[in-house]
Formats: sequence, C-alpha cells, structure tokens
Amino acid sequence: MSLKTIRWGAGIAGVLGVGLALLFHWQVFFWVPTEASMGIVQRIFYVHVPAAWVGFFAFFIVALCSAVYLWLGEERLDIAAVSAAEGGILFTTIVLISGPLWAKLAWGTWWTWEPRLTLTLLLWFIYVGYFLVRSSSENERTGRRLAAVVGIVGALNIPLIHMSVLWFRSLHPQPVVLRTDGPSLHPDMLVTLMTALASFTLVFLAIFLVRYGAERLERELRAHDSARESGKGVPV
Amino acid sequence: MIRYVQQVEALVRKDLLLELRTWDRLSAMGAFAVLVAVLFHYAVDRTLIHPRELAAGLIWLTIVFGGILGLGRTFALEEEDGAIQGILTSPVPKDAVFLAKVTGNFVLLGLLVLLILFVFGLFFQVGLGGNPFALFGVLSLGVLGFTALGTLYSGVTVRSRMGETLLPVLVFPLLVPMVVFGVRGTSLLFAGVSGAEVEGSLRILGSFSLVALLAGAFLFRFVVED
Repeated sequence: MSLKTIRWGAGIAGVLGVGLALLFHWQVFFWVPTEASMGIVQRIFYVHVPAAWVGFFAFFIVALCSAVYLWLGEERLDIAAVSAAEGGILFTTIVLISGPLWAKLAWGTWWTWEPRLTLTLLLWFIYVGYFLVRSSSENERTGRRLAAVVGIVGALNIPLIHMSVLWFRSLHPQPVVLRTDGPSLHPDMLVTLMTALASFTLVFLAIFLVRYGAERLERELRAHDSARESGKGVPV
Repeated sequence: MIRYVQQVEALVRKDLLLELRTWDRLSAMGAFAVLVAVLFHYAVDRTLIHPRELAAGLIWLTIVFGGILGLGRTFALEEEDGAIQGILTSPVPKDAVFLAKVTGNFVLLGLLVLLILFVFGLFFQVGLGGNPFALFGVLSLGVLGFTALGTLYSGVTVRSRMGETLLPVLVFPLLVPMVVFGVRGTSLLFAGVSGAEVEGSLRILGSFSLVALLAGAFLFRFVVED
C-alpha cells in the first residue's frame, strides 16, 4: 500500500466514521425507543456493545498479524499488529468506562466480578503487557518478536479465561443480537446498534491506517538515519 | 526420540545441579513462603474467620507469588555469563531447551508446594483432606501450566530493561483459569469430597497446562533467537 492510498483510506474512513457517530448519537438520544425494564440507562448499550466488538476484533488482528509476522518475518505485519493493538486499547478502555457507568445504575454497583467484565479487564492488561514488552526490550527487533509472542499467548488464553470466569455465574445480560433464533431486540434498536457498530469500525480503521502510515514513515526515517550515520550511504 | 529425551535430561540435570550447588532460588522461594504464611496469620482476623477456611486461596496465592520469584530467575544466571548462547548454538532443538527448563522449574515449584503444604499444616492446622492423590493431581496440573507460562515469559523479561518486575504483569492475567479451578478443586478436597467431584477442575487445569506447554514449546524459539 502506498502512503497516498493509506492517507486517502484513513481520510474517507475517518469522515464516514465520525459522520455515522453523529448519526448514531442522534438515534440514541432522539429516535430509538426506550427499553422497557432498564429504562433510559440502557442507551449506553449502543456505545458499550460495538466498542466491545471492535476491541475484541482488534485483539484478533493483533494475534493474527503477530503469528504471521513470526512465521514470515515481514515487518509490515508487525506495524499492522502494533497499530491494531493501539486501537484495541482505546476501544477496550471505552468498554471499561461505559460498562461501570451502566452497571452503577442497572445493578447498583460500579463493578462486579462478572465474566465478560473480568475478561475485558484482563484483555486490557494483556495489551498493556504487549506494549511494555515492546518498549522495554534491549533492541527493537527483539522487542517486536517478544511482543508478538505475548500477543499470541494472550489470544490463546482467551477461551480458557472466558470459561473460567463464566463459572462464577453471570449477571451480565444475555446476548440479544448473535442468537441462533435471530435477534430479539426491537428493529429500531438493531438499526441504531448497527449504525454505531459501523461508525466504530470505520473510526477504528481510520486510526489503524493513520498509525500504520506514521509508524512506517518513522521506521523508514530511522533506517535512513542509521544508514547515513554508518556511512553506507542512503538506501534507495 | 530417545536422543531428544537424553538432551532434555542432560539439560535438566545441569539446571538441577546448578541449583543444588547454590540453593539460590529454592532458599529464596522457601523463605518467602514461610514468611508469607506468618504475614497471613496477622492479616486475617482470627476472631472473624479461621485461616483454615481461606486455606485453599492462600495456598494458591503463596504458590503464585513464591513461584514467580523463582521462575523470574530461570535464565538470569545463563544470561549474565552468556552461557545461554552456548546452549542455543548447540544442536539441541529449542523446544527441548524449553521443556528442560520447564521440567527443572517444575521440580523446584513442586518442592515449594510441599513446603507450603507443610507450613500451612503447621501454622494453620490445614490437613491434606480425605483424598491426597486428587489433591496432588490438582496442585501439580495447575503448577505445570503456571511453570510453562512463567518459563516462557521469563525468557521474554530477561531480555527487557524492566527485568523481573515485568513478569507478574505479563503472567498474572493469564493465571485466572489456574487460580479459579485450582482454588475450587483444592477447597473441595479440603472439605473432604471424593476424587470424582473435582474431575471437572482437573480437566480444565489439564487443558490449561497442555495449552501452555504446547504454546511455550512452539513459541520459545522466537523468544531466544536473534
């Protein structure tokens, strides 16, 4: 991908994503019907759920890109993994902020040891570890490889973590969209949720592309500098 | 295959011999375990709850904190004097090096667990429950997965400027399955249930260990290669 394509892609995804964000906020505040049992507070759902989906999706990209990076050693895959991880941190942070806000009103407590909540918190820490390993390694190449290992092991552990926290029986609302007998929520609610999901996915894509381009430029610049310092001339 | 086992065995013997000569890691872990038990005595208000009722959880936490001390030093000695390069350039497969390190660490942590059980029995009158075999099954399966993860990540942190401080940050989020089912199985067994009732916990601890071992054996080469 050329830098120009990346810039255009990021621009288009960003504008569309922010546009849809405005639209879904209008839907959330003025259009969508209020949920019967939880009342107005249920509207946090339209931010919380898509952010969780995008955050988990980002972690999936990190694990995938890390695995293929270790296999092929292609540096662009490492740049993709780190860019996705930054997006993932952002969206899981949104989940971890919006969740307790809702829980305080719906369950009467900021935090419970509820499976999906716990899993998200642990995922957030696995991401943090991923960045700490990357930044504290003795040299950059090693850091990339070690971070990839951390990304993969973290992802492998997710099903096990999920199973074990599930054992501590769940308070969390059951899935309303991804069910075998079709979505169970009001069609207007589904439309709002899908708008929010599209918006968050596009914003994630924009952030991902911007970070990808910036990281690539930074590395090219550094390679350029070190080549000049070592007197080998400028690589073409 | 036989050659592979011999290679692993030689490496394990070297590590255990090194440990026997110095007692560095074992004495640190052992002292830690005893001192933590002493601190637990003062941390738990005996008029409200007897430490025996918390024993399963306290034992697992002592294993985790004491174990991480020892696991963090897995590669420290070899990294300091560069001996790790010798092992890595020898024709031994990297997974054999990993499995040897896990075996050596597992022996150390096994001794730590025995010491912890003894200390908790002595200080808090915690027995072994009615089914010691099932208890050792739960403890060893959990500790095996912990050892595999800790060994792999110790290879990661030894090459980081943050060193061993980073190890718990990386390992603890992954230990939730072990703590949940380890504590559950252990407290059931302390309460005197039969071995069949902890079968579920044993299975999950087993799959946790298997995933950790396989992932470690496969990924270790990327941790050490340069």
